[in-house]
Amino acid sequence: MSAAHATAPKTPTAPARKPSGFPLGFYRYRNYTIFAFTSIPMAISLACLVIGVGALGQGEEAWQAWLARQATPAFRAVHLFCLAFTLYFAIRFGWVGRKIGAGRIGPLPPPPLPLPLLGIAPIGGFVTVWLVLVVILGGWLS
Amino acid sequence: MAETKLVKFEVLRFRPESDKEPVFETYEVPCMEDWVVLDALNAIKDDIDPTLSHRWSCRMGVCGSCGMLVNGRPVLTCAAFVRNYSGTIRVEPLSNFPIVRDLVVDLESFIEKIKSVKPWIIRKIEKDAADGEYLQSPEQLEEFKQYSMCINCALCYAACPVLASDPEFVGPAAIALAHRYNLDSRDEGNAERFERLDGHDGVYACSFANECSQVCPKHVDPAMAIQQAKLNDFLQWAKVLPKRSFT
Repeated sequence: MSAAHATAPKTPTAPARKPSGFPLGFYRYRNYTIFAFTSIPMAISLACLVIGVGALGQGEEAWQAWLARQATPAFRAVHLFCLAFTLYFAIRFGWVGRKIGAGRIGPLPPPPLPLPLLGIAPIGGFVTVWLVLVVILGGWLS
Repeated sequence: MAETKLVKFEVLRFRPESDKEPVFETYEVPCMEDWVVLDALNAIKDDIDPTLSHRWSCRMGVCGSCGMLVNGRPVLTCAAFVRNYSGTIRVEPLSNFPIVRDLVVDLESFIEKIKSVKPWIIRKIEKDAADGEYLQSPEQLEEFKQYSMCINCALCYAACPVLASDPEFVGPAAIALAHRYNLDSRDEGNAERFERLDGHDGVYACSFANECSQVCPKHVDPAMAIQQAKLNDFLQWAKVLPKRSFT
């Protein structure tokens, strides 16, 4: 770099602008933003579960009270809301997640099944677990 | 004379000597049927307003110079046909980069990031030229070929929502290039690139919006490269993979 270049004043610039349509204006950014938002409903569901485990530790009476509370219309609505976002998370993750598996990972042998198929198993399991949880939490078994 | 159609263009202008912030200016341009947006910008500069600044070079989607936002989406303007747009066409400089003037952005940070991942073949011991070239099979080439198609147009940086909130993120093109060399059977520079890719602003900053791959004009898949680089990075960190090339 020449001395003149090194001492030259930096060209004045206008600040960088955000991507057009981010976070909600353009449908692809909107899909991504909703994907990021799914962490909140999923955290709510997990919090309900943790409280449930706490109630279980406090004995039969606390557990039954917790179950009864989960079966109220308000809690059922919350769980269905959380389920909708969890399903969205699973679908979106299944779509973009196809890219996660490397065709070959260094010296490791390639996996026996095509990678997209390998991706379906954990995603299917994930959705199934959440569905079971919602049924239990919502009191639909009782 | 060939038939023309009057098309309205809104072009973002920024003249640092007089403008406090960028403003849109409108031009009506007589466009021919086969024109691309770059032709219209050149017509504005040649016949309407010679003060307009924009970058371009090859006019055939190879050099990567003419990337801009057209109706909000990052595209190569030499490959964006005017006839494919309806109504007013809005042209802006690439997002996520400071604007130097009009449609010209400051690409210094982009170049530095590309350089930082050492996108060249690194060998521990160079073979003597007399010993011949490094041989590579078609299968070995296929593993990284798509990543070598990058033309450094920076469209992926303009589309990336992570860069919008974390300007230090090394970014899609740089990671795809690093991954390309890490996959190259002739390369031994994995460990040197690991430090850059593993850092806070490296591969793990990516939250997988996938927009980089959507806008790439050469059909490179930087989002895939980043996710695979995450896996390789983790395996290197966990010492499952040696910190060297995969040869």
